[in-house]
Amino acid sequence: MEKFKDIIRQYPFLGFIIAFFILMAIPSIFFTDLYQSHLSSLIFINIIVAAGLNIVKGYCGQVTVGHVGLYAVGSYTAGCMFMYLGASLWITLPVAILVTGLFGVAFAIPSFRLEGPYLALATLGGGEAIRLFIENGEFFGSTYGISSISQPELFGITFDTPDKYYYISMPIMLIAIYFSFSVLRSSIGRAFMAVREDPISAAASGINVKKHKMLAFILSAMFAGAAGAVYAHLPPGYIHPNNYTVIEMVTFLAMVVFGGLGHIWGGIIGAVIITIVYDLTRPLYEYQLFIFGLTIVLTILFMPKGIGGFIDKYFIDRRFKKKQGVASK
Amino acid sequence: MLLKTKKLMKAFGGLKAINKVDFELPKNEIRGIIGPNGSGKSTFFNLVSGVYDPDPGSYIEFDGHDITNEPPHKVGELGLARTFQLLRLYQDMSVINNVMSGYHTLVPYKFIDAVIGRKKIWDQEKVIKEEMMELLSFVGLADYAEMNASELSGGQRRLLVLARAIAGKPKLLMLDEPAAGLSPVNVDNLMKILMRLKEKYGLTLIIIEHILKVVMDTCSKVTVLDHGEKIAEGTPSQIKDDNAVIEAYLGKKMDDEEMRKALAV
Ligand SMILES: Nc1ncnc2c1ncn2[C@@H]1O[C@H](COP(=O)(O)OP(=O)(O)OP(=O)(O)O)[C@@H](O)[C@H]1O
Ligand SMILES: [Mg+2]
Repeated sequence: MEKFKDIIRQYPFLGFIIAFFILMAIPSIFFTDLYQSHLSSLIFINIIVAAGLNIVKGYCGQVTVGHVGLYAVGSYTAGCMFMYLGASLWITLPVAILVTGLFGVAFAIPSFRLEGPYLALATLGGGEAIRLFIENGEFFGSTYGISSISQPELFGITFDTPDKYYYISMPIMLIAIYFSFSVLRSSIGRAFMAVREDPISAAASGINVKKHKMLAFILSAMFAGAAGAVYAHLPPGYIHPNNYTVIEMVTFLAMVVFGGLGHIWGGIIGAVIITIVYDLTRPLYEYQLFIFGLTIVLTILFMPKGIGGFIDKYFIDRRFKKKQGVASK
Repeated sequence: MLLKTKKLMKAFGGLKAINKVDFELPKNEIRGIIGPNGSGKSTFFNLVSGVYDPDPGSYIEFDGHDITNEPPHKVGELGLARTFQLLRLYQDMSVINNVMSGYHTLVPYKFIDAVIGRKKIWDQEKVIKEEMMELLSFVGLADYAEMNASELSGGQRRLLVLARAIAGKPKLLMLDEPAAGLSPVNVDNLMKILMRLKEKYGLTLIIIEHILKVVMDTCSKVTVLDHGEKIAEGTPSQIKDDNAVIEAYLGKKMDDEEMRKALAV
């Protein structure tokens, strides 16, 4: 077991290949209807968003409440490219990532001067502005939305049903997590945390605070853009401004807060749980904002480190016990 | 000269926190800065390290570079490290990550290698971690490496910020009251560690300290500030006999015996 762990640590992508094969097998073993596949894709999409949000908020400590706007940019880049150019996901995905990354620059600029609630307000305004712009733009399909966005083809297969699309959203999610791990476990992730904890001493250590804030916003925007594009092409391929409101923003925030800010695995688990709860509470549409708002407040009050806190505590306790065990021998 | 300031000035409103200070520090010296509360010692550090912008007409040079208007991270990159009076450690990060982030400017791999997760960066990270663990054992914190910095005691925190500042192998290390609030035993311990670090890393040091004994014992030269002005500079024994210094501290002249007592606090 120890040896296995060492190998994974040496070649981190091996773990992802194993996860890939397990996730490949799951539908045929457990799934009984198409809806489960559909929900899984939604979970994967939200994991991508949560992984990105965790970079900027969890690691870099920048309060952003406009992320849903970036997610919308990703979706509408894909949607419009399909509508006007007939482009498939394989084209729209990279373009959406790049375009949303550029929007990330715009979201980063306020963070140079503003902090906490002020930054939250600025980004909230940015996110809402994007939604209103889309809603009022003929070009973007305004309040009709964009429909029948195509599904991608690969190896002669068209991934046009939820059970097939699972095999598109899942690997993209794994790649996204892999990137977030690589970045956050390196000196860049450490610099993000230093900026979060104390920008003045971070700068004293030679860390360029503005550059790292910018980097965090761009990276997290790229994740949101990727997620948005995957969502736009999700069968039946329909996007509407109403999918990008404050309610969605609050669920995104609930994922990372409940999962544990600054904890990669916690954020992923948070995304899984919150997506399922969001889906179950869909009939209670008018209470969702309340439910997830309350989740955030209660989490911050009673378990500020979220699920990730419990994970860490478990492992640290175990490591500690192991050490004591060795000492007593 | 490793560090040089000319006519360094900083006013907050009408208050001249630093007023036309000329300062020169050669390599390998240990310099003490003393002065009453509010005399401008921390402001001097903040100006030199780029945290504050100096007023027009000031000039700061470090290791041959004009750093008068450089932002703090540039100054840090050039090899000037500092600690803060209020410590400013990264509370919600592990002890080892605190120290490792001090190594930031020396990290050998590129951003793009980190993004795509190339294997070589994990090998390099391992090397960095080993080196930083060595530094932690040097200051006696190796056993706490995986703990959150917020769980450390006051004395341990002071050792941690010291280790973090040294992690980037600076040419000049500026310490703002490194021993404040420590018991006499811990002060001795800290000073011993500091002297060993100086030897090992070939550091040049500036120490702001209220515990005059520390300054008198370790510094080869002392600069005295009062109301933002440099009022004296010299060896510890010269400073002890300087009338201006005595007046700044106590507002009156004293005989030798009184003076010795006052400075032995
Ligand atoms: N950011 C600031 N804004 C306004 N005034 C400031 C600021 N920083 C320092 N000052 C003022 O400048 C003067 C010098 O402060 P400084 O912190 O440099 O003193 P010090 O010598 O370090 O004192 P201490 O021994 O108490 O640490 C003080 O009067 C202080 O109130
Ligand atoms: Mg001070």
